[in-house]
Amino acid sequence: MASAYNPIYTDVPEKDVFALHFLQTLSNLRTQNSFSSPDNKTSDRVKKIKKAAYVSMARAAGGTNRLWSRSLLHQAAKRNNKNVRFLRRKRRVTWLMRRRSNRGDPIEDVAAERLRNLVPGGGGMETSKLMEETAHYIKCLSMQVKVMQCLVDGLSPK
Amino acid sequence: MSSRRSSRSRQSGSSRISDDQISDLVTKLQHLIPELRRRRSDKVSASKVLQETCNYIRNLHREVDDLSDRLSELLASTDDDSAEAAIIRSLLNY
Repeated sequence: MASAYNPIYTDVPEKDVFALHFLQTLSNLRTQNSFSSPDNKTSDRVKKIKKAAYVSMARAAGGTNRLWSRSLLHQAAKRNNKNVRFLRRKRRVTWLMRRRSNRGDPIEDVAAERLRNLVPGGGGMETSKLMEETAHYIKCLSMQVKVMQCLVDGLSPK
Repeated sequence: MSSRRSSRSRQSGSSRISDDQISDLVTKLQHLIPELRRRRSDKVSASKVLQETCNYIRNLHREVDDLSDRLSELLASTDDDSAEAAIIRSLLNY
């Protein structure tokens, strides 16, 4: 079973790393007065928290060292700067690489397509890389969910 | 034409090498997903694993959405002082 290929690195940092990053991002939001002012709509607040969750998760998981986290941070920064040109170029590259990888196994293609749409940055990867990224993404997502659950539990009135 | 042939052989060559890798990755993914970990059998097909992975990711996204909702309510309703203390306390006690 052991073949001489690169070992797959899917180690994920401890929970406190995720918690720390999330707290930092949340405290930035608080200093921007997003929570205390009553003029802000609830949906805006929720959107900001959700974005903070994904961005802090991407940073905790290794920032630009992972394809999915790099793509997440890139998307988040793009939304701030409203830079549309990069988005279009990225789509074209994605289309080309998808055509090339479609000549592979038919079994994984349909499900892999769906997976590519779910994992950030998945459009430009071939199948083996996509699954490696997926494994790491799943671990980080569940870690982030645990952190948020702890927060909610801790903040809820007893 | 020769370049096309060589590229095709390169593609089939690369897929032959990564077949093992892919099955290893599929097994690894299988262990990560709670649904499939319970069954414990090695006979889960690759497509099933990928399908369950998609469902699992969608569930996690939904949980993040739901928790964001609840967090935004909680953070807005509590006072500043007690909120910060409660946050730090809750995260240190896990």
